[in-house]
Amino acid sequence: MTNPIELGARSGLGDLHRVERHDAAVFDLRMRRDAAAREVPDWEALREHAAAVKAHTLDHLDTYLEEFEARASQAGAVVHWASDAAALQRIVGDLMEERGVHRVVKSKSMLTEECELNTALEARNIQVVDTDLGERIVQLRHESPSHIIVPAIHCSREEIGELFHRHMGTPRGETDPERLTRAARRNLRSHFLAAQAAITGVNLAVAESGSIVVVTNEGNADLGMSLPRLHVACVGIEKLIPRMEDLPVFLRLLARSATGQPISAYTSVVTGPRPGAELHIVLVDNGRAALLGQERHRSALACIRCGACLNTCPVYRRAGGHAYPGPIPGPIGAVLAPAMRPDGASLPHASSLCGSCTAVCPIRIDLHDQLLAWRHDTNRPRSAASLAARMAAWLMARPRWFRFAGRLARGFWPLASRRFPGNPAGGWLRTRELPPHPGPSFSARWHRERGAD
Amino acid sequence: MNDRESILNRVREATTRTAAHPGKHPAPDLAGGFERFGSCLRSVGGEAHGPVAAWAIGEEATRVAGLRAQGGRILATDGASQRLGPGPWVVAPPDIPPAAFEDVAVAIVEGSVGVAENAAIAVEGKHLPHRALPFLCRYLILLLPTAAIYPDLHSAQAALPDDAYAYHHLTWISGPSKTADIEQTLVYGAHGPLTLDVIVYGEQSGR
Ligand code: SF4
Repeated sequence: MTNPIELGARSGLGDLHRVERHDAAVFDLRMRRDAAAREVPDWEALREHAAAVKAHTLDHLDTYLEEFEARASQAGAVVHWASDAAALQRIVGDLMEERGVHRVVKSKSMLTEECELNTALEARNIQVVDTDLGERIVQLRHESPSHIIVPAIHCSREEIGELFHRHMGTPRGETDPERLTRAARRNLRSHFLAAQAAITGVNLAVAESGSIVVVTNEGNADLGMSLPRLHVACVGIEKLIPRMEDLPVFLRLLARSATGQPISAYTSVVTGPRPGAELHIVLVDNGRAALLGQERHRSALACIRCGACLNTCPVYRRAGGHAYPGPIPGPIGAVLAPAMRPDGASLPHASSLCGSCTAVCPIRIDLHDQLLAWRHDTNRPRSAASLAARMAAWLMARPRWFRFAGRLARGFWPLASRRFPGNPAGGWLRTRELPPHPGPSFSARWHRERGAD
Repeated sequence: MNDRESILNRVREATTRTAAHPGKHPAPDLAGGFERFGSCLRSVGGEAHGPVAAWAIGEEATRVAGLRAQGGRILATDGASQRLGPGPWVVAPPDIPPAAFEDVAVAIVEGSVGVAENAAIAVEGKHLPHRALPFLCRYLILLLPTAAIYPDLHSAQAALPDDAYAYHHLTWISGPSKTADIEQTLVYGAHGPLTLDVIVYGEQSGR
């Protein structure tokens, strides 16, 4: 079985310099989150409250879905239901085709990534332009986002400069973020003004009023929702909250956990279509109801996609998002993958179980316990790693053999850290160095330094 | 069975209806007021002006608009222009297509409540018939009564009028449009306005 993280370390971040840069950029977000959380006196109470609201909502999800549908329809929206990705693709494609739509602007939505909506629409001759700057960058690179909040965090300014030179006509060698952002603004404005429809994701949906809540920093979702006549909002069924009164709890946690901002620049609460326009809301299941039925794992559905667990995860920080098979990387990706993807069973094993993800999650999802629970649930063939673990257990129970093995390992160390064909440490060495020789063993030092006693 | 029924059935089977709703989250003990609001707004890239007397908003708006744009169209919403009185702005005509705001330099829009902890200002659909205006303009000015600044988001949201969600959209705006998608370098004016100025006016209430 391929270790997904190792796979990604080769194909994604690659050289050490990129790994260091990615690690630093991502950890910077983590520290901003810490500073923002410290400013809020009721932070822990907020987390607890949010977790309780989510647990309640998920446990009454059918009634809240029905309430949402009724209220949204009353407000003039059309509500659709999609069991799976194919249904979402069909519903959105038909809506576009019936209205002769060929040009669509889209704002960030992990759900539409999960359901591969862009590809499906393009096959029906509908052009989709991602408008979040980071998403536009990865779209032009024919990649998927590598982070759920900062999709192009794996790209350098040089790469983006080169990309914009080819696609937006910026001068060759332009790498200034401000000038590149201006170029993208001009370019995407023309797409906004020409668009016949907008597709958005949804951060939260309020059952009592039938409202959808869309959060961005760039304002791209708002431009999409205010220019073309047709707005299609794609909502995972787990996004519901019962009341408007619950909304501030989540808004106060979301941006602080994501980027350390006290709130995102734009939070739009949309109830029904604007006059003369159409609003269609598609409620998507795609495996969520099945996960809801697994008591031990359902809390993963409470995730608000803030990205905090990615930013703090030592595995994600060094491996990058493209190391993970699904659209969502990091701890939450590893927790969702076994339930949502046929290739996801191995992901919970690629974790050190350090628990940092659980410590930062604004909804207090027990992420590292979930990873452990999935390990018990998924049958994994005995790998080289588990064989090594059993050998180590055997050795440690036999002091004399253990000391002998230690002397042997010290002798072979310089050889093992060299790259040569057939080296058993070869897989490890492909992307990293072995640490330097640890010197004499602890017991040797003990005997030397305390030998007089 | 259609998708609606099958999803609802699956969900119904999976739920136990036992976990209780925790009720209302108590508002935290935070400082409010213009000073807090202003310093938070600065930290998110905007600027607060005032508080000015209600009769002096027009003058202040003229000054602030001049700081941002030399020349160019200045549009005010109907409600904002009534507060501002006469000045270099024109009222946005009721039924022009949204794309006509492309060349607007400054837009002036009324906010209804503000939040000191995050510098967010609620702009209600009722006050904003042209949904695209504050996103297409280059520079945005919001008007906010001093008495409508609340310490935290819970109490600010609770202070919104009953019909706050009855006009298609309500947007909380905190600072100018921004992105850090290119090597985490913060750039203002990603898609929407490059700046946000908030003119705070009137007396602090007795609260
Ligand atoms: S699991 Fe928690 S920390 Fe991770 S993205 Fe979801 S809400 Fe954020």
